[in-house]
Parts: sequence; C-alpha cells; structure tokens
Amino acid sequence: MTILHTISRSPSSALLASCASLLASGDAVLFIEDGIYHCSDNKALSAIEALVKLYVLREDLMARGMLGKNLADAEIVGYDAFVELCCEYDKVVSWF
Amino acid sequence: MSDKAANNAPLKKSITFISRSAPYGRDNSQLCLEMALACAVFEQNVNYVFLDDGVYQLVGAQNASAIDAKTLGNALETLELYGIENICVDEDSLNQRNLMAKDLLGEFKLVNRSLITALIRQSDCVFNL
Amino acid sequence: MKFSIVIYAAPYSSEAAATALRFTKTLLDQGHELYRLFFFGDGVHNANRLSVVAQDDKNIQQAWDELIKTRGLDSVICVSSAIKRGIVDETESQRYELNAVSAYDSSEISGLGQLVDATLHSDRVVNFG
Repeated sequence: MTILHTISRSPSSALLASCASLLASGDAVLFIEDGIYHCSDNKALSAIEALVKLYVLREDLMARGMLGKNLADAEIVGYDAFVELCCEYDKVVSWF
Repeated sequence: MSDKAANNAPLKKSITFISRSAPYGRDNSQLCLEMALACAVFEQNVNYVFLDDGVYQLVGAQNASAIDAKTLGNALETLELYGIENICVDEDSLNQRNLMAKDLLGEFKLVNRSLITALIRQSDCVFNL
Repeated sequence: MKFSIVIYAAPYSSEAAATALRFTKTLLDQGHELYRLFFFGDGVHNANRLSVVAQDDKNIQQAWDELIKTRGLDSVICVSSAIKRGIVDETESQRYELNAVSAYDSSEISGLGQLVDATLHSDRVVNFG
C-alpha cells in the first residue's frame, strides 16, 4: 500500500527527517503550507528524491513569493492535484 | 454508532497512531491517546507507536499536578486496559534523547524504523500527531 | 471516492484550517463524497459562530458554516474538546446552564465514536493540523 505524506512545517521542524525514515519506494511527499520551504534547498531533498516522488503546493509557494525558487525536483501542483494524489495513493499520512 | 452506518462498511480496520509529541506542552499527546482509546472501544485493530518527542511521554515519575494537569503517564496505562496490545517504542528516538529502557514507566516493545514503516504500510488508516 | 477530514487546528493561528477548507471544497467540486468533517482539539474553534473579522479578512468559521449548509455536509465537533473551549450548542448550553450558544448549528456536537465511524466508512481520512 503506497502512502502520500504531507509535510506542513518549515525545515526547522525536523519533520522531514522523521518522515524520510519511514518512506518506502513508491510513496510520495507533498509539501504544503510552511513545508514548501523544503523545496528551496535541493540538498536536503536529494536523499529522498530517488526513492519517492515529490510534490509542492502551488498556492502556498505563490503566497510566500517562492514560486520561482523551487530548486528541488518537486512537481508543482494545485488543489485539484492534491485531491487526486490522495486518491492515487492508498492512504495519506500528515506531518504537522 | 451513526445512523449513516447502514451501508456495508468494514466492521474492523487496522488503525495506527503515531504519537510524536512530548506531553503537556501541547495537547497532541492527549488527543492521540483519546482517539486510540475510542478506536479500541469500538474494537478496531489499534497499533500505537511512540516516535520522536513522543517517547518523552513514557518517562517515569511524572507528576503533572505541579502544572495543574493530569499525569499522562498514568493515562497511558489505560492503553493496555482497553485491549491495545501492539504498543511499540522507536528505539532510535530513545537513543537520540539519551533515554534508556530503565528510565521508562514500564516495559515496552522497542522497534526500529523499518518495522514502523511496515506497520503504517499495512494499516488502513494512520493518525500522526 | 469517500473522504473524511479531521481538523485539529484553530483558524487564524495557523494556515491548516484554511487549507482544510480549500481541500474540502476541491474534493466536493471534483464530485467526491465527503462522509464527515470532524473537528478535534483546537479545531473546534472553527465552529465558533461568534467570530467577527476585519472587512478585508476571510471569516473561516462562517466559510465552514456556509460550505456545510450549502453542500449538506455531515460535520461533527468533538464534545470533550468543545465544551472546555466554550464551544456549546443549545443542548450543551442548557445542560451546563450557560445561557449562551457559541457553536454554529450546522455542526453537531458528539463524541469520538463519530470519528471511528468515519474511519470505518471512508476510503481516505485526511488530517489537517
């Protein structure tokens, strides 16, 4: 069963390390709210991007002026895709 | 439970709780416990995992009367009373916080991350707070 | 697909409640079914009908109320979280002789059994906190 993980706090929360330690191949991580700041640092994400698909929520990037600063290999998605991803993966685990 | 429950939903699911917050500072640990106990009352398959700061909930000799709160350590004993048998503690989280098994309220099953990964993968639903 | 949404966050103090609101609207617009909204912990503040905001601010509680009414959603506020935070409906107000009602009548005040029921009846449970 594949899992969509959402992370909604900034890198200082250390949520990514905990989430990353529980990822399995085929899972995905979606960055939302302050979690989008993870995507301005591609080094932090390089450890997991080979294993899982990365997504980041467009609205939260836009709000924070970070739309052009998505340096990671994360696909920018809107709310429609957020819902679709929740359907595509077997369950959703939220990190907040 | 609900009058909406007339359709053919499964009667039992496997539900995993990842209790990841320290006690008292926020109420996440309390909320997580309440949800798990409710699931146990309705006879669900409940797994309870202490991860990250959540392991601080297990430190012995808590006395929350000093801060006008209920001692969470006592409440955790109710997990087993409610029939929640699969209670596990992430060993890395203990090590990172210089906690040893002897510092804890009781004896717990220590597990590694790969076991927790497997647990959440095979669960129908995961609550993580 | 059948969703249930659990909201742990109060409006305004974090973005989570607003995210949950946008997510809920989107899934309904896509034609998915919402089995239940469940407001838990500080999330119960989303049902406070006494909120007033500045003219250029979005009133999140009012937006939930409108969404719940126009789409005919099943919305539950956890009773143990609600009454200690002063979120009471007519029934709770009378029970505790409070002479005031602070909860929107579009949500029902009920217990955690409704969350267990939602977990059993939903394909996806999505948490916002």
